[in-house]
Amino acid sequence: MKNKKALRLIVIVISLFILTVPMAAANEKVLNIAVQADPDSFDPTRSVAAATVEIAFNIYEGLVKANEYGELEAALATHWEIDPSQTVYTFYLRDAYFHNGQKVTVDDVVNAINRARDPQIGQKAGEYQAIESVYGEDNRVIVKLRAPHGPLIYEFADLAMAIYPKDAANLANQPIGTGPYKFVEWRPNQSIKLARFDEHWADAKPYFEEVNFRIIPDDHSAILNLKTGFVDLIPRLDASLLHQVEGDPRINVLAAPMNLVQLLVINNQDPILKDLRVRQAIALAIDREEIIFGAAWGNGDPIYTGLSPAMPKFYNDSLEDVYPYDPDRAKKLLAEAGYDKLEFTFYLPAQYSLHVNTGEIIAEQLNRVGIKANIEIIDWGTWLDKVYTQRDYQLSIVGLTGKLDPHAILVRYTSDSSRNFFNFDNQEYDRIIAEAIDVPDEQRVQLYRQAQKIMTENVAGVFIMDPSQLVITSKDLKGWKNYPIYVIDVAALYR
Amino acid sequence: MKFIAEKLISFITTIIFVSLITFLAIQVLPGDPSLLILGTEGDPASREIIREQLGLNENIVVRYFKWIIGVFRGDLGQSIRYSVPVRDLISDALPLTLWLAFLAVILSLVISIPLGIGLAVKGGSVLDLLGSLIMQIGMSVPAFWIGILLIQLFAVKLQWLPPGGYGSFVSFILPVLALALPRAAVLTRVVRANMLDEFREDYLRTARSKGLPQGKVLYKHALRNVAISIFTVAGIHLTQLLVGTIVIEQVFSLPGLGQLLLAAVLQRDLPLVQGLVFIGAVLILTANLCFDFLIAALDPRVRFE
Repeated sequence: MKNKKALRLIVIVISLFILTVPMAAANEKVLNIAVQADPDSFDPTRSVAAATVEIAFNIYEGLVKANEYGELEAALATHWEIDPSQTVYTFYLRDAYFHNGQKVTVDDVVNAINRARDPQIGQKAGEYQAIESVYGEDNRVIVKLRAPHGPLIYEFADLAMAIYPKDAANLANQPIGTGPYKFVEWRPNQSIKLARFDEHWADAKPYFEEVNFRIIPDDHSAILNLKTGFVDLIPRLDASLLHQVEGDPRINVLAAPMNLVQLLVINNQDPILKDLRVRQAIALAIDREEIIFGAAWGNGDPIYTGLSPAMPKFYNDSLEDVYPYDPDRAKKLLAEAGYDKLEFTFYLPAQYSLHVNTGEIIAEQLNRVGIKANIEIIDWGTWLDKVYTQRDYQLSIVGLTGKLDPHAILVRYTSDSSRNFFNFDNQEYDRIIAEAIDVPDEQRVQLYRQAQKIMTENVAGVFIMDPSQLVITSKDLKGWKNYPIYVIDVAALYR
Repeated sequence: MKFIAEKLISFITTIIFVSLITFLAIQVLPGDPSLLILGTEGDPASREIIREQLGLNENIVVRYFKWIIGVFRGDLGQSIRYSVPVRDLISDALPLTLWLAFLAVILSLVISIPLGIGLAVKGGSVLDLLGSLIMQIGMSVPAFWIGILLIQLFAVKLQWLPPGGYGSFVSFILPVLALALPRAAVLTRVVRANMLDEFREDYLRTARSKGLPQGKVLYKHALRNVAISIFTVAGIHLTQLLVGTIVIEQVFSLPGLGQLLLAAVLQRDLPLVQGLVFIGAVLILTANLCFDFLIAALDPRVRFE
C-alpha cells in the first residue's frame, strides 16, 4: 500500500514538472538560428572557418564592410580616400564604441591592422603583404602600399581586418567588437548567444534583442526544430532535404546563388591528365543539367568557368559553348589521344553530400565515354592532406567559396600559387592575373574575363554549378539578406 | 584486498595502453589540425606557424610523455578546436552522457522485467507469441530511427516534448526512450527465456506446492536467480551506452561526449580525442568493476571463485 502511494506521488510530481516547463521560447524578440558547427576561434587574427565568419560578422566590424551586392560600405570609417598614385589609403574614423564601453581610437585600428598583416600573428597575413606601413593622424588612419594593388581594399572588409580594443585579451573566447550584436556566451557544441548592442553607431536598432546560434549538426534535427518553433532559421539546408519543408505552411524557403564555385578538380600534372585532349574529353562528357537535377534537386546555376554568375560584373558569360555536353566528341578525343580505356581514382569529401552526389553522377557520365572513375569517399581532413596539400590525386570534387573581389578567387590558378592544387600551369593566365592588379576598373573587368576564358579552354577543371543557398525560415521571419560572402546578417532580420 | 589491487593494476595498464593506441591512431590519420584550420585557403607558411603554435612540430614521443605526465597531474591539456582546457569541455559534456546512459538502462530494466516475467508466465500462448514478435522487431530497429519516429510523433505532431536540445529534464524523455526501447526488447527476451528455464526447476514447484502466492514465487524466488543474467546484460548495455550514445546525441542535438568526440576526430583535435578516449576508458572500466561487485553481491558463488 505504502509503495503505491509513493508511486502515485512520483507520477504527480513528474507530470507537474512536465506541464510547467514552457515549450518553445515564447519571446518574439529572441531569434534562434540553427548552425552546423562550432566556430573555430573568435580571434580575428586566428579565425578562418566559415562557421566563425557567419557569426562574427554580427560582432565585429572593419573600417569598411560588404553589403548584399558585394559592394563596400562605410563601417568604422565614415569614408575613405585613395590618392591618385593608388598607394595611399586614408580612412576617416567614426565616433564609435566597443562592446566593453571603450571608445574606438586610431591606435586600436593601427594595432589591429598591424597584427593582421604580421605573418607571425595573422593567419591571413599573406593577403596584406602589399601594405608597407600604417599610422594614425587625428581621426585618420593612413595605409601606405608598396605598389598599387587594386584588390586590397576588398580585403579590408574581411574578418581578418576586424577592429578590436588593442588591450583585449582572449578574443578567441571573449570577442569584443563594435558590431550590432555583442557576445554573451559560448557553450561548445551547444550554442552561442549574442545580445543587441544598443550603443552601436548606426541609428537603426535591430529588431532582435537576443540571438542564439544553436549548434545542430544534423540537418534532419534542424528541420524538426524549425517545425516545432525551437529554431527560426536554417541558413543553409542541404537540397536533398528540401522536400521535407516544401509546402509546409509554417515555413518559408528562399533560394539564392551562393557565390560558390563547385568544380570537378583535375590534377593537371597527372601523367595522363596532363594531356589537354583527355581533359577536354572529360569536360565534354559532363552534363551539368543532369547533375544539377540529380544532385541538387534543380537548385543551382550551371557555370562554365572559375567565377560564379553571382559576380555579374566580372563573370564571363560567353563560355557556355566551349565544351558543351558531347559524349561522341569526347570519345573521339580520347581515341585521338590514344586511349581507349581509362581509369582514374576519384576522391570525394564525405562531409559534403552535395559533392558526393555530384561525384557519383559524374562517375556515371564518365563511364559513358569509356572512363572509369573509381570513387573513394574520404573525410575532409584526409582530403585536405591528399588533394589540397600533397596534390596526390587524379580527380575530385570541391566547392570554393566566394570572395568579394575576383582576384582573390582567380589568383589560386596561377602556376606559383600555393593554393593551386589543380596544378594548373599557363603562362598567359599568370601574366593576366599579375597585370590586373594595378589597372583601372574597366580594364580589370576585361582582363578577368580573358583569364576565365583561358582557364575554361585549357580545362583547369570542369566547373559545374553555383549551388543555391537554401535559406529556411519560419513564416514570420523577414528581412533575410543574401550576401555573396558567407555571412548571416542578423541585424536585418525582423518578425 | 588482493582482488581490488589486481583490478586496479589492470585498470591502469589498460588506460595507458588505450591512450597509446589513440595517440598513434591519430598520428596515422592523414591531415592535421593546421590543415583543417586553414581549409582550402591554406599555404605552407601559415601552416608552419600554426603547427609551431600548436606544438605539432615537437617530437611525437616527447608529446606523448608530456600528455601522460599531465594526466597524472589532472591536466588533460588544451583543446585545439576550442582553445579551452579539455577538462572543462569534458566536464560539461559528461553529466549529460552519464544521465542518458543510466536512465536508459534503468528504463529498459523497468520495462523488461515485468514484461519478460509476464510473457514467461503466459508462455506458449498467443500473447507470448505476439510479444516475442514485437521484441524481435524492437531488437532489429536502430535507436536513431526510433528517435526520429518519437520526434515526429511527440514533438512535431503532438507538440508535447521538444525535438532536441538540452534544456531541462523534459529534453531527456525522448532520447532516453529511443535508447531504452531496443535494449528493453533484448532484456525482455533474456528475462523471459531465463524465467522459463527457472519454471522447470524443482524449488519453484516446491514453493508453489507449499502455497506461496504467485507474485511471491515469481519476484522473491525466481527473479532472484534470473537477476544475474539480467544484470550481466544490463551491464553490457551500460558500457555500450557510456560511449555509444553518439548517434542519438546527433539526432537530438545533445551536447554529450559522443558529439564532442565526433567533432574532435573530424578536426584532428588530438588533445580532445585523447582526453575523451581516456575518460571513456575510465568510465567503461569503472562500470565493469561496479557490475563485477554487484554480481558478486547477488551471487555468493562468484565471490569464492
